[in-house]
Amino acid sequence: MRKLFVASMKMLYRDRQSLFWALAFPVIFVVVFGLFDFNQAPNVRIDVVGADRAPIGPALVQGLDRVDSFDVHRTASEGIARKDLAEGDVDVVLAVPAQTPAAGPAGIEVLYNRSNFTSNQFALTTIRQVVDGMNLRAAGVSRPALVVEAKAVQAKTVDYYDFILPGLVAMGVMNISIVGMGVAVARYREQRILKRILATPLRPIRFLAAQVLARLVLSVVQSALILGVGVFAFGGHVYGNVLWLFVLVVLGNLVFLNLGFAVAGRASTPDAAQGLGQAVALPMMFFSGVFFPVETLPKVVETLVRYLPLTPLLDAMRTVAVDGKSITATGAQLLQVGIWVLVSFWLATRLFRFSETR
Amino acid sequence: MIGSDEVTVEVSGLVKEFPAPGGGTLRAVDGVSFEVHRGEVFGFLGPNGAGKTTTLEIIEGLQEPTSGTASVLGLDSVHDRERMKARIGVQLQAGAYFRYLTLEEILDLFGSFYPKALPPAELLEKVGLLDKRRALVGELSGGQAQRFSIVAAMVNDPEVVFLDEPTTGLDPQARRNLWDLVEFINRQEGKTVVMTTHYMEEAQVLCDRVAIIDHGRIQALDTPLGLVRRLPSAYRIVFQASGGVDEAALARLPGVRRVTPVQLNGFNWELAVRRAAETLPAFVEWSESNGVKVEDVQVIPATLEDVFLTLTGHTLRE
Repeated sequence: MRKLFVASMKMLYRDRQSLFWALAFPVIFVVVFGLFDFNQAPNVRIDVVGADRAPIGPALVQGLDRVDSFDVHRTASEGIARKDLAEGDVDVVLAVPAQTPAAGPAGIEVLYNRSNFTSNQFALTTIRQVVDGMNLRAAGVSRPALVVEAKAVQAKTVDYYDFILPGLVAMGVMNISIVGMGVAVARYREQRILKRILATPLRPIRFLAAQVLARLVLSVVQSALILGVGVFAFGGHVYGNVLWLFVLVVLGNLVFLNLGFAVAGRASTPDAAQGLGQAVALPMMFFSGVFFPVETLPKVVETLVRYLPLTPLLDAMRTVAVDGKSITATGAQLLQVGIWVLVSFWLATRLFRFSETR
Repeated sequence: MIGSDEVTVEVSGLVKEFPAPGGGTLRAVDGVSFEVHRGEVFGFLGPNGAGKTTTLEIIEGLQEPTSGTASVLGLDSVHDRERMKARIGVQLQAGAYFRYLTLEEILDLFGSFYPKALPPAELLEKVGLLDKRRALVGELSGGQAQRFSIVAAMVNDPEVVFLDEPTTGLDPQARRNLWDLVEFINRQEGKTVVMTTHYMEEAQVLCDRVAIIDHGRIQALDTPLGLVRRLPSAYRIVFQASGGVDEAALARLPGVRRVTPVQLNGFNWELAVRRAAETLPAFVEWSESNGVKVEDVQVIPATLEDVFLTLTGHTLRE
């Protein structure tokens, strides 16, 4: 059994093409996601019309300029500014009145592009604050009675990268198990290696167990690599205990390996196993919340995908990795994954076969 | 090595049915019975799809028969299969081995499946592959790969070795090398060999006894010579004669079955005879006493191909 395990590890290690898909491919995802800065405040380009004519113009431009992510330009004509806005060259246009009326407030016209919904709210709020400050000073208030002291209640900053990292771990494990194991076993059958083993006194379950064990080791190495690159090279965070994360990876992998054997049993050739494996893994990758929270799906779809094995697994992994909780907080998800281990094992034993003829 | 009386493989009334693609059942093996004696090289000769591989795999315990029994070394192929597997060696038709392990590693791994195993280096030495011990199977030539698959069937030093079409797809030189290997396994190592082939020369050269199989049934079972002797005419005598020949007189010679005028490599007459030794002296006497000038004579023995054709009405390659 030890020899069988060592041999299985050697075979995994020497199969460079599969090793690339297992290790380099998910790391490419980690790097690509790491290169995007999801927390950067949106940059807002602002045209101020009539700033040179109006008395309040210089103060307004100065106030807006102080905001880091504002890019402020003076424009002489409103026509040009409107054209810039229409063409998307600027995000906001401020039209300052030339005269401050004696009675009543002077209206500052703010034009903005409705489609920039990410930056609009931020831009409009900030502009209001700048104008409010000017109003206070105009009213002679140098020390306001009330100020807002904003303190973040959440002690940590969870960004999209921290959300995606456990997703990439699960995606990688799922692919090497459903597709990788499926293709490998289908190839062993096609080349009659399974039958050849059946002709020896070795109990075939031992051969399969060694293969499964080797794949579990590979999945732990793969997960460690994904998390390592994500955390150390790109500043991702794992808030909970990493060990629990590995426990979840191994548990989830049991489901995926069973599905891999089922795929190998159903497919007649290694190529067919590749296609069938992808057909099982890809929908799960997109629907079970690797990249987006399942809550953002339509209600009916969300209810359905909650029954897939990857959804509760990812839920549990994020409960540990993002919410920083212990594995004991994931009882419901563990139960679901556990049921999937049994269901997928039943499926594998039903579909798996050693030779072309049953 | 000539077989002893001790029975090593015993097969009785074997039937194997598969569900046919269009419904109904297909009888791949249809009532096969035979015995293989210890020390024999026993061969199954038949075309593709005759039921050779299915019969072999039932004996090896890889498939279960629909009915009938098979046993090796007194161990039933279904009920005692685990114990039996430890004492036999199996080479599968077109069977491959792990792509990413070296020859030495594969033999070491397969050896670990058995209670006792021979050292990989010793095994590779036997088949002249010791210098390839660190090569992968994919780096071997066709003949080397086939030699390896045979030696991989011998890791447990088995008493009976099953070879399924060991030379299919090999060039003539590699085939001859493999015949030497099979003879070595049988004569030097004293192993009983059960093999299948669809090459009649192979059966003729290697096998002590041959079972001719077609449509899942054994059509005849005997030594290659015995099978040929069953033919009404086991030899053909062809000769070239100048001048007139009295066909009726030739047909009266002892053992002559048929007289035919032919055009064959310069020969112009053919006699189909029961035994060459029976007819030849009378033939010589006939030519001298009748003043027929016989330029050249050739005696051609019948082959297993002729036996197969006579028994089944079609050739091995059909």
